[in-house]
Amino acid sequence: MIDVLFSAFLLSVVLLGIHSYYGLHIIERGIIFTDLGIGQMAAFGAAIAILVFDGKYMYAVSLVFSLLGALLIAVSTKRTRHHEAFIGLLYAFGMSAAVIALSRAPRGAEQMEHLIAADILFVPMHEVFKTAILYSAIGMVLWFGMKRLRGTWKDVLFFSTFSLTVTSSVNLAGVLVVFSILVAPAYIMSGTGLSFRGKLLGAWGLGMGLNLIAITASYFLDLPTGHTVVALYAFSGMVFTLVRGTGKPRAGGTAEPATS
Amino acid sequence: MKPIIIGIFATLFVLLAGIAQAKTRIVVTYPYIESLVKQIAPDQVDITTLAKGDEDPHFVVPRPSFIGKLRKADLLIINGGSLEIGFVPPLIRQANNPKIMPGAQGFIDLSQQINLIDKPSKVSRAEGDIHPEGNPHFILDWHNVPALARAITEALARTDPSNAATYRKNLATLLAKWKDRSAAWDKKVLVLRGKKVIQYHRLFNYFVDRAGMQVVGELEPKPGIPPTSRHLEELIQANAGGKVHMIATDAYHERKSPEGVAQKLKVPWRVWPHDVEAVPAAKDIFSFYDALIAGSLP
Repeated sequence: MIDVLFSAFLLSVVLLGIHSYYGLHIIERGIIFTDLGIGQMAAFGAAIAILVFDGKYMYAVSLVFSLLGALLIAVSTKRTRHHEAFIGLLYAFGMSAAVIALSRAPRGAEQMEHLIAADILFVPMHEVFKTAILYSAIGMVLWFGMKRLRGTWKDVLFFSTFSLTVTSSVNLAGVLVVFSILVAPAYIMSGTGLSFRGKLLGAWGLGMGLNLIAITASYFLDLPTGHTVVALYAFSGMVFTLVRGTGKPRAGGTAEPATS
Repeated sequence: MKPIIIGIFATLFVLLAGIAQAKTRIVVTYPYIESLVKQIAPDQVDITTLAKGDEDPHFVVPRPSFIGKLRKADLLIINGGSLEIGFVPPLIRQANNPKIMPGAQGFIDLSQQINLIDKPSKVSRAEGDIHPEGNPHFILDWHNVPALARAITEALARTDPSNAATYRKNLATLLAKWKDRSAAWDKKVLVLRGKKVIQYHRLFNYFVDRAGMQVVGELEPKPGIPPTSRHLEELIQANAGGKVHMIATDAYHERKSPEGVAQKLKVPWRVWPHDVEAVPAAKDIFSFYDALIAGSLP
């Protein structure tokens, strides 16, 4: 059994590696729900692929939709102050549009469940390796690119690689799993006042501990793995915030990261 | 020196005896298969059933423990005909047990024993959840059971040769009993000949055919796609004066649509069991058909 648990753990570590990087950036930019919006658009794309192409070209269609979502969010940040509202609407749109599409597809409810939180215990090892290689490459591009680029090009790099990553992750693990891995560790670390590098390392360490607990618990208590990961991440994020706080609230009431 | 050697031999003997006595471990997908296995091997095997009887057989939520069970299994018996396509292939892949891989001696696909009906002329998702091999719900006809029982017996005898004679004897007993019961069931359903039924999903076709009834519609517009109000309206229009005998639904779908259509058409609606344990009365493979027929009689 250990090998199956190990491949699930490895997958969660791969997801954690890149997503907590994005998580820290997204919290800094104050567009936290971007991931849910883009992830849900990727899920909508997958639903369209299931309905129209019998499940073929899933990745390509999914990617087109998530890029579209990212483009809309990037434009909206320039045109409105309350872009969180825009992103929320995008999420709601992606969610209902996916449900509508899958209501016309056989076994739609099952497919929908899979896109929200998949059972990461069933992802084969070669998929884990493929994803690890892809994300390492993206990580390298980001590490060097984000320092050199400025302005619009930086945003283009950020949002396009982000869409690519989210699309792959959503197809493997589901929208909620990706969102919780992205936000929870980064959110907890964002209140520490460490350097970016320190926060990233902290998020990795923290996330790895959570992954280990979630996957072991799901195996021994026989619970659906995807939802166990989501529940544990979300719960830890909430508890930590209430106990220690992450960033001081502004006068207006909206939280702001401590470092910005 | 001598006591040590004797000790080693004694230990080996106990170990070997233990191995010989270890029960054959069987994993099956549905309760009806479990019930059949128990008829043939009442206490020689250790059996795990993945799906619950009142669960949607197409959509079984795979849990982590299933992988562990499949890893240790000597024999995996599935319904086949793509019914388990959503959950068994990933389980087999992750279990990575050569004994029960498709093609191995320990992998039994029961649909191979049956001539499936409703084979689609073209397969596409646009036509709904069509199983390319044909309708996989063949357990709804009791005349299919002897072939399944024979296949299960042969698989058990191959996996556990020491008990082969017992299994074959139990099979003979079951088949003799089955002949009588089948004849009785055949007689009971004679009154259903020519009656029209509406079903939720194409789940009961084998039973409907056996009883000489006629399916005049499904609540699902296409297999696997939930009922839409327009489709239900059309179904009611088409059968308003058509003397429908009853609406048959199953243990796992919502009850609002069958209830609504039944009310409009002023006909009864019933839950028919599609598997052992789908309804409380269907306790084993025998009472399953009793409950199915009882539910379909006027």
